[in-house]
Amino acid sequence: MKPKVAFFDFTCCEGCQLQMANFGETLLEILKLVDVVTFREVMSERSEDYDIAIIEGSITTEHDVERIKKIREKAKVVIAYGSCATIGGINGMKNKFPLDEIKEYVYKDGAKYFPTILTRPVHQVVKVDYFINCCPVYPPEIVKVLKAALQGIPYEAPDYAVCVECKLNENVCMYDKGITCLGPVTKAGCNSWCINNGNICYGCRGMVSNPAKTGQMDILEKYKIPLDWVVNKVDMYNKPRELEEEKPKK
Amino acid sequence: MRYLLLKKENFNDFISALAQIEKVVAPVAAGYKNFSFREVKSGKEISVKYIPTILPPKKYFMPQKEKLIEFNKAESLFDAVLEYEKMIIFGVHTCDLAGIQCLDMVFSDKPKDANYLGRKNKLIIIGLECNDYCDEYASCKVVDNHIPNGGYDLFFTELNDSFIVHVNTGLGEEIVEKTRLLVPAEQKHLNELEDVRARKREIFKDEVNVKHAELAGLFDKAFDSKVWDDLDKRCVACGNCTNVCPTCYCFDILDNINLDFNTGDRTRGWDSCQTEPFAKVAGGENFRKTRGARQRHRYFRKFKYPVERYSRYFCTGCGRCTRTCMAKISLKETINALAAEQKK
Repeated sequence: MKPKVAFFDFTCCEGCQLQMANFGETLLEILKLVDVVTFREVMSERSEDYDIAIIEGSITTEHDVERIKKIREKAKVVIAYGSCATIGGINGMKNKFPLDEIKEYVYKDGAKYFPTILTRPVHQVVKVDYFINCCPVYPPEIVKVLKAALQGIPYEAPDYAVCVECKLNENVCMYDKGITCLGPVTKAGCNSWCINNGNICYGCRGMVSNPAKTGQMDILEKYKIPLDWVVNKVDMYNKPRELEEEKPKK
Repeated sequence: MRYLLLKKENFNDFISALAQIEKVVAPVAAGYKNFSFREVKSGKEISVKYIPTILPPKKYFMPQKEKLIEFNKAESLFDAVLEYEKMIIFGVHTCDLAGIQCLDMVFSDKPKDANYLGRKNKLIIIGLECNDYCDEYASCKVVDNHIPNGGYDLFFTELNDSFIVHVNTGLGEEIVEKTRLLVPAEQKHLNELEDVRARKREIFKDEVNVKHAELAGLFDKAFDSKVWDDLDKRCVACGNCTNVCPTCYCFDILDNINLDFNTGDRTRGWDSCQTEPFAKVAGGENFRKTRGARQRHRYFRKFKYPVERYSRYFCTGCGRCTRTCMAKISLKETINALAAEQKK
């Protein structure tokens, strides 16, 4: 019996699910190993019977909380999929403002119809077994995590800076170009995907577990970068990290 | 062996002739004062005057990712793999030649590394002398790498209107024969070379307040130094210093299984002692928890441990670690700080 896989989307752009739909030949190999029973973006059929739940999106309403709890009860394995699900992602920018104020700003008179709570990544609400990072998800990591999940072994993204992979790819450092990049504080595992393609690191994989505070300040000083610039950049994807102390519920 | 001459007007033709023999890689400008060894087809692409490349030519001797074994579980097959490419590496500075010599020592040590040694045989090395300092970060004099000490097939030194070429090996002779552009050097060219070296003796001075022979002793007494506490506060553990080092050779080995859950490979990739997970073991214990301890380890792996095992400093003086450091940690400053502390 192949394990049954269901995709669910919460607050997100569904771009990470699109990555899966757009996977090409690898998707055919994956489909030999699993039965996809629910995947709103690509199929009409749906099922409430699944083994692996792949969750895209962050938790931003009370309704989301109830829904993710029900999914967690049914699924043997929960995989947080993409930045919104793993770290809150750009939806987390909402947390920088008083909720009522930001709701008014977005929905104007309709605000009363959109009850909202602070944006949380999935693991801050229910237990998550695997994390597939990035915005959008990095295809080779999808494969790595699925292999680990299907074998029942742990997957750990490298807990060091994107700089490590970036240097191995021999990119010219963004700081040498006079551009602020979040590589030094962001967890690797994407093979410095963005920098290889001429963009900066936006920190979409989340921060390394033990960032060096004093050292990072030295870097800002060396390159004359105001602290609030960097904080803003980090917050773009990582604002909900501040809620991390609130332990995940069962 | 012998000295030959390549007129500068023939330089482009020489590189084109090399490219007819094998793939040629050489330093190429990458922008923002960065250089990188990349494939070239003609001499025009090469930056003859360059500061050390982002990654040293080490990447051709031990690739960032290297397959060692392919396996098939169902058939119990485990096949050793050696993937290599024949190549001519042109323009290797003396610091990087020293780096390759260090790697040779390590990988020839028991147990011999078949992959490294097998690949090394396929690589032809053409050195290039620095007639002056590349920049303020280099410290090649104090580790004695500012002048050539072998480790090449051919070695180029730029003179006024030509390059004088030292032919060091049989492979070098083959290149000379196939390219047909090198002519015998005359006495005046040898004199010119002697002038270059004499000028270099004036320019290159010990870059730190410690003599060559005293460097190892400095590190014998440095284990408990306060200097590491300072580095602990500054280092961000980005791993840049070790990843760009021509003599760092640590690697991690991973088994990758394919989606058929039957076939797969065993691959090794560069690892860095500066990163958080490097010294972490089962159970979460970490033998070098602090960044300061990890920095100390890096320095000891350049100035102490290899001296005990191979009687050689594994710092080549290329300056890459300082040049690339996000947090301004300077090799020269660290050595001077240790020296100042011990003088007290």
